[in-house]
Amino acid sequence: MDGIHDLGGKQGYGAIDVDEADLYERGEAFNHDWEARQWGISSCARTPNINIDWWRHCRELITPIDYLGRPYFDSWVQTDFATFIDGGFFTLDEVCLGYSALDSLHLDELPPKPITKADALQADRQNAYRFDAEINQLPLFSIGDLVITNQHGHSGHTRLPQYARNRIGKIHALNGAHVFPDLSAQGTESHQHLYSVVFETGELWSDSTNIHDKVFLDLWETYLSINDLPKNEP
Amino acid sequence: MVEFNAKKVAELHQHLHSHLPSEPALRVKALETLLVEKGLINTESIDAWVEAYTEDIGPKRGAHIVAKAWCDKEFRQRLVLDGSSAIDELGYLGNATGHLKVIENTASVHNLVVCTLCSCYPFSILGIAPAWYKAAAYRSRAVRDPRGVLAEFGVQISDDVEVRIWDSTAELRYMVLPQRPNDSEALSEHELAALVTRNSMIGTDRDLVKIDKVKV
Repeated sequence: MDGIHDLGGKQGYGAIDVDEADLYERGEAFNHDWEARQWGISSCARTPNINIDWWRHCRELITPIDYLGRPYFDSWVQTDFATFIDGGFFTLDEVCLGYSALDSLHLDELPPKPITKADALQADRQNAYRFDAEINQLPLFSIGDLVITNQHGHSGHTRLPQYARNRIGKIHALNGAHVFPDLSAQGTESHQHLYSVVFETGELWSDSTNIHDKVFLDLWETYLSINDLPKNEP
Repeated sequence: MVEFNAKKVAELHQHLHSHLPSEPALRVKALETLLVEKGLINTESIDAWVEAYTEDIGPKRGAHIVAKAWCDKEFRQRLVLDGSSAIDELGYLGNATGHLKVIENTASVHNLVVCTLCSCYPFSILGIAPAWYKAAAYRSRAVRDPRGVLAEFGVQISDDVEVRIWDSTAELRYMVLPQRPNDSEALSEHELAALVTRNSMIGTDRDLVKIDKVKV
C-alpha cells in the first residue's frame, strides 16, 4: 500500500537525533521501561497463525497521525492490540475497560510456563528463521541483467518501495527463492526468487549529489521485468 | 484465527486511536495486563526477555564478530561468504539473522544500512536498534541524502569514496564490517572489540579511534 510507512526519500522530517545516548555504554538497552516491557511482550506472545508479513501490514495500517506521532515500540503496542483483537483473543470493549470480562477468561487452560533468561537466550537462537526454499522455477534474471521495477504497487502489503518504482537497476546477486510477502500477508505462502538489485542514485533522485553512490534493494521476481528499453545515459 | 482482513484491522486502528490510554507506558501496561489475565503470557517471561536483551544480546556480539574478522582471515572469508553460518560458530545466530550479509568497508567504499519500510535490524548480533534508526528522519533520508546523514553523525566521506546504501526491506539483514583502525596491530582481539562502535556496524560511523584512545 502507498502508506505512511513507506518513508524512503520523503522530505521534511528534519535532523536526526544523533546525540541520543549510547545506552549500551551504560549497560542498558532501552530508552524507557515501557519499551523493554513491549520488547518482552513481543518476544513472548504473538497471535497464533500470524506471520511477519501480515503483522507488518497491520502496523502499516495504523492511522498516519499515530504512525508518525508515536515512538516506534508504541506502534508495536498498537499493532499487538489490533492483531490480538482481530485474532479473537480479546475484544475492543475489554481494551477500553482495561481488563478482561470475566466470562471470557479461559481459566481451565494452563498459562504458559515462566521462562528464565537462559530459556530466552535459547529461544532467541531458535528465532533464526529462514524464509528460503527450493522451487522448481529457474530464476528469470542473471547477475548483470538490467531490470526495470514495476510502476505500480497495490493496496496490500508489498516490499517494493515507492521511490524505487519504474526505475532501472542491475541484478547484483541472486539470493534463492524467499517467501513472497505480498501473498504471505494475505495468508498464502509461496516462494519467489529474491534478487539484490543495485540502483545508481542518479536513477532514483534528481537531486543526487554524487555519481558514485548506489542504493541496494532486495526485490522479488514479480517486482521486476527485463529492461529492454534503451537507457537514457545522462 | 487470523482473517487477513485489512479493512477490519484499519477500522480497529481508528477505534484504538480514540480509546487507548494517552501515554505509551499506560498502553503497554494495558496490553500486558490483558495478556496476563487471558493466560497468554506471564510477567516473569517478559522479564527474562528484557534481561536477555539488556545483559547478553547486544552490539558487544557484533563487536566480537568484527574483531575476530580483523584477526582471523579465514573467519573473515567465511563471514563474508555466509554471515549466518559464521556467526553461528560464535553462538550468535538468532532473531533476524537467519539470512545475514556482512558487507565490508574499504578505503574506496562505505556502507550504510537502513530499512525504509519498517525498521528491520539484525537483533541477535546488534540488540535493540537505536531510536534514530527507527525514526522517520533517518529512514526517509538515508537513501536520498546519505552524505548529509553521515555528516550529521560527524562522518565526512570524500567525494571519490562510493557510498552504498543497503535498504534491508526483505528478510536479508546486513551488518557493516568496518575497517580495522591504523596502528592497531599490537591489540588483542578483546582490545580491538572495545574499539568497535554500534554505529560503525550500521554505517553511521567510519573511522574507529586509534590505539592512543583505547580505554585500558
